[in-house]
This record gives sequence, structure tokens and C-alpha cells, in this order.
Amino acid sequence: MIEAKDIKKIYPGIVPTVALDGVSFVIKEGEFVAIVGPSGSGKSTLMHIMGFLDRPTSGVYKFRGKSIDELDDDQLARIRNKEMGFVFQSFNLLPRTTVLDNVKLPLLYSGIAREQQDRMAREALEKVGLSHRLFHYPNQLSGGEQQRVAIARAIVNHPSVIFADEPTGNLDSKSGQQIMDILQNLNDQGHTIILVTHEKYTAQMAKRIIQLKDGRIVDDQIVACRRLAKDGLIK
Amino acid sequence: MSILYSFKVAWVALKTNKVRSFLTILGIVIGIAAVVAMMSLGAGAQHLIVGQIMSMGSNNIFIEPGAFDPKKTSIMEARMEEAEIKTLKISDAQAIKNLPEIEEVAPFVIGVEKVIYKDVSKKITFIGTTPAAHIIEATEVTLGRDFTDAEVKSQARVAVLGYKIAQDLFGNENPIGKIIRIKKTNFRVIGVLEERGTQTFMNLDDFVYVPVTTAQKLLLGINHLKWIVAKAKSKDVIDEAVEDIRLLLRERHNIYNPKGDLTKDDFKVMSQVEAANILSSVMGVFTLFLSSIAAIALVVGGIGIMNIMLVSVTERTKEIGLRKAVGARKKDILYQFLIEAIVLTSVGGVVGIVLGILGSFFGSLVFGKMLYMQWKFFISLKAIVLGVGVAVVVGLVFGIYPARKASQLSPIEALRYE
Repeated sequence: MIEAKDIKKIYPGIVPTVALDGVSFVIKEGEFVAIVGPSGSGKSTLMHIMGFLDRPTSGVYKFRGKSIDELDDDQLARIRNKEMGFVFQSFNLLPRTTVLDNVKLPLLYSGIAREQQDRMAREALEKVGLSHRLFHYPNQLSGGEQQRVAIARAIVNHPSVIFADEPTGNLDSKSGQQIMDILQNLNDQGHTIILVTHEKYTAQMAKRIIQLKDGRIVDDQIVACRRLAKDGLIK
Repeated sequence: MSILYSFKVAWVALKTNKVRSFLTILGIVIGIAAVVAMMSLGAGAQHLIVGQIMSMGSNNIFIEPGAFDPKKTSIMEARMEEAEIKTLKISDAQAIKNLPEIEEVAPFVIGVEKVIYKDVSKKITFIGTTPAAHIIEATEVTLGRDFTDAEVKSQARVAVLGYKIAQDLFGNENPIGKIIRIKKTNFRVIGVLEERGTQTFMNLDDFVYVPVTTAQKLLLGINHLKWIVAKAKSKDVIDEAVEDIRLLLRERHNIYNPKGDLTKDDFKVMSQVEAANILSSVMGVFTLFLSSIAAIALVVGGIGIMNIMLVSVTERTKEIGLRKAVGARKKDILYQFLIEAIVLTSVGGVVGIVLGILGSFFGSLVFGKMLYMQWKFFISLKAIVLGVGVAVVVGLVFGIYPARKASQLSPIEALRYE
């Protein structure tokens, strides 16, 4: 499903910053991959390239067989809209906008009929257990609830891949555990999940861990002893 | 995503940010309202003043001392500087009256003096003239009577008061037959004029009229005139009348001027129409002045719109990033901000036009009341087009330019923007 070959990302400047220095891997449908590494190791940059949010400086990146080089910005937007969902560390919900409207946001750009949009958004919110919060505003919710709204927004258009960039980074351990539980459930339902994290415990809830250091993959292995979030607190 | 849908997205975004939308609209409203009100009031003032000159009777011809000077177009300016030329006499006025095209002639002198009645004293403008003045100006003596030609001949010490000066001096008392003092001379009040209001910024009800001979001898100590007004028998003979008056006065003043060079004369003759044209050009300067104030208002308003648009779009770079991340194309972002800008500027434009029109309407009412004049209320179409045009262009450019810039960023760059 995802194929990366010798991906490099260099940020220009007086002293160019090399964020990714030749990264190659393959991710199949239904996997739950954690990308770990110290800060500055390039894990977020890698996720952005995988999620079509940014283009690599060189190398080949293919999503479902289509190379990013063959697609223009509008086509990338369309694929992001239909096939990908994003969860960010800082939630990125629109302020002064209801939970329901926030979740509907991707549907606005998908050409789906209005009545259906409403149904889909309510379904997505039910999956994250927020059916009772439809008309609240983000600032009336706890951090954990906000992140669950963000997850609902990510899954509302039934994407095949969900990208989560430090989704538990701004949350207390209990809320973080809830978020991870939801992600594991989504993976069980067939969504491919790419998780960027720097927490070992969180990473061990994935099925596979890719470890980055200084823009290179230093380790890539299956999780032998996988933790399940519903079994208890992470820490 | 359809245009209709962009409309919905833009509408929701505007509704979500009520304060910001309101401030943007306010900037546009002020800019447009100021321009519309300024230019409308300017047009009203111009119409009023030119109209008043014409209402004095379009058959009138003015004769003033001093040669025609093409550099001096203002009547006031000319009057002040040429006041010392003493060649215009009452006998000239009588001679003009005998011309076949002329119906009436009134000579004028003018001065400022203190008038005293009992313990009330007031500074007034007195005008020395003949009964013909009130015929030419179509003014009626509503109380008592006007002075007569016999009284002019005999330098009678009689006065006809303007409406307001009569009120100021006598209040509820009947002024007829009372004695007032002007420059140590006693005058008997014989009449009060009807209320006339203000004309070209002078309150006509503040004047005191006395026989021209009395004013010359007792109040001013001169034997020349300040100006003469002649009324032609009809509009069609005005040009002939003007020419005949010139020939007559040259002959009487012994000026050899066969080529009719106006700068060689010691007087100038001007018809009402010419006077209105001159005043109209003076008013043009006035309107230009008002328009430049309006232009400043427009520039300030434009900068306001520019600011708020730039700030509001820039602070939404993150929102643009998010919208792009979940699948918005460049086009979708541009449409959204374009429609937002259109909605803001058109709402601001309509409100601005309405406020500007209301402003100039009430302005004309207030000015009319203050100056006792019929101030005509104008809607300046030019101002509306100009104001709205500038506001819309500025609103659109500065609403879309930053949005375009933001929409070209990669989603992640926009998302990271602080």
C-alpha cells in the first residue's frame, strides 16, 4: 500500500537541514506501524510525506501504486480527502465551530450530499463515544475529548490510512490510553494506522515499530509483545 | 465543490467570526458613507448657492466700479480692492434707467454701523438704495411702508428694517414711528421687511435700508456708489442691455474705448447669468476641497479594510492548512475567501451607501435649519460608484492576496504557521 524508496528531505537554508537521509520501507494494508525516534530524527517529516502533506526532495514515494511525482496538488488533495485521515498532536480543531461541523469538514470537500454528511459525522462521533457532545464547541471540551473529535474527523470519510502525529502528546495518561484504544479498534476494523510517537509504551501498542535516527531507519521490527490499551494504564 | 457550497463554507466562516466580520464591515461602511455624504452635501451646497443667485432674478445686471480684471474672478475680492474707485454716481444710475431695455435701476451703497434703540445697541449692515431695490429683489414691506423717491431726493432720515433686526431691537413692540440712532443721526423707522433668510452666507434679515442719498451724505460722507443693479425688460435683451450700459458709461465717464477693451473701463457690467457662472466656478473649488476630504476618508477607509483583511486572512493560515490537509484544493480555499470578501464588501457597501445617504439627508436638513435656507438633498451617484468601487477593489485584493499566498503553501507549512 505504501512504498518508500530512498526518500530524502532537505530543507533549504544557508546550512541546509537534512531531515530524511534515504529512507526505504514498505507498509501493507491493515498494518499498525509506530514510527519512533528522538526529536529531530525526521519522524514527523516522514509522516507528512507519507500523508501527502509535503513532497520529498528526492526518492520515490508511492501510495496505492501512484507516485507522488505523477500527481498534482489537486489530485493529492483528493487522495488526502478520500483515503487518508489525520490526527495531530495539537488537535487542530476549528475554534468557534461545533463538534459536528468540525467533523464534517473533510466531507465539505468530498462532494457528498448534505443529508449524508450529517449522518456520517454523527456515526464517526458515535465511534469515538462523543454522541452527547455534537453541538459543543472545542473550548468546552477536555483535551482527550478534543482529540477524539479529531479522530472522528479523521475517520468520517472512511479512509484506508490514518496518520496520527503524537496523538497522545498533549494528553494525560488516561486520556491517552482512551485514544490508543480507539486507534487499536480502528486497526481491528481494517484501517491502516501510522503512528508517530516518542513514547516507548505507546509504540508498543502498534504491531510494528520503525525506529529513526538522524533521518535514517536504524531499526524496523514486529512488536513481539503487543500491549492492548484496554488492558490498563500505559504508564 | 460547487460555488454554492463555497458560499456555505464562507457564510459559516463569517458567522463563526462575528466580531472580525463586523469590524471589517465597519471599515468599509465608514469609508463609503464618508465619501457619499461629503460629495452629496457638496453638490447640495453648490446647487443652493448658484440657485440663490439665479433666484434673485435672472434679468438682473450688475454694474460695479473698477475695470474688468481677468485674473480676479471673485466678486468679493474685486469689491474689496476696487472700492476706492469713485466714478460711479447716482446720475449714472438715472441715465441707465432711461435705456430702452431697462425696466428698473437701483443704486447701492453699503456700510457697517452701530444702531441704538433705547438701551439696545447692535452692529448692523446698512444699505443705502432707492425703492427700486425692493422691486428688483422682489421683497415686500410687510409692516409699515417702504421709503419713497421723494424721501430719497430729500435725504429723509427714515429706515426700513430687516425682519431679524426689527425683532432684536424692538421685540414685541411695534417699531413703526420709533426713532433709532445710527452714527449720531436719528432715523424714524417706517417699515419692516418680510423674513428673507440667508443668502450666500449673509443673513438678509440683518440689514437696515435707508435712502441712498441719506446714506451717502450722513453715514458715509461719499457721493459715489458701490454698485448698481439694473433689471432688463426681458431675458432676450440682456446682452444688448449690457452692451448699451457699457457704451453709456464710457460716454458719461469720458473713456475713449472704441474697441470695447474691458480692461480700459473704470467699471464692469455683468449679467446675473455671468455672475452665477463665476460663483459656480468658485463653488467648484469648494466642491474640490470637499472631495479631497472625501478622498482622504476613502484612503483611510481603504487602509482600514486592507489592514483587517490582511490580518484576518493571515491569522487564518492555520485554518487554511487544516482545510488543505483534509482535502481542500487551492481553488476551494480561494473561492471561500473570495466569497467572504465579496460578502463583507457588499454588505459594507450597501450599509455604507445607506448611511451616507441618510447622513447627507439629515445634514441637509440641519444645514437648512441653521442657515434658514432650502437646502436641496442630493444623492451623488458619482460618490456611490467611487466609494463602492474603491472599497470593493481594496477589499477583494487584500482579502484574496493573502489567501492566495496561504493556499499555495504546502498544507504542513500552513498548519505550522503561528
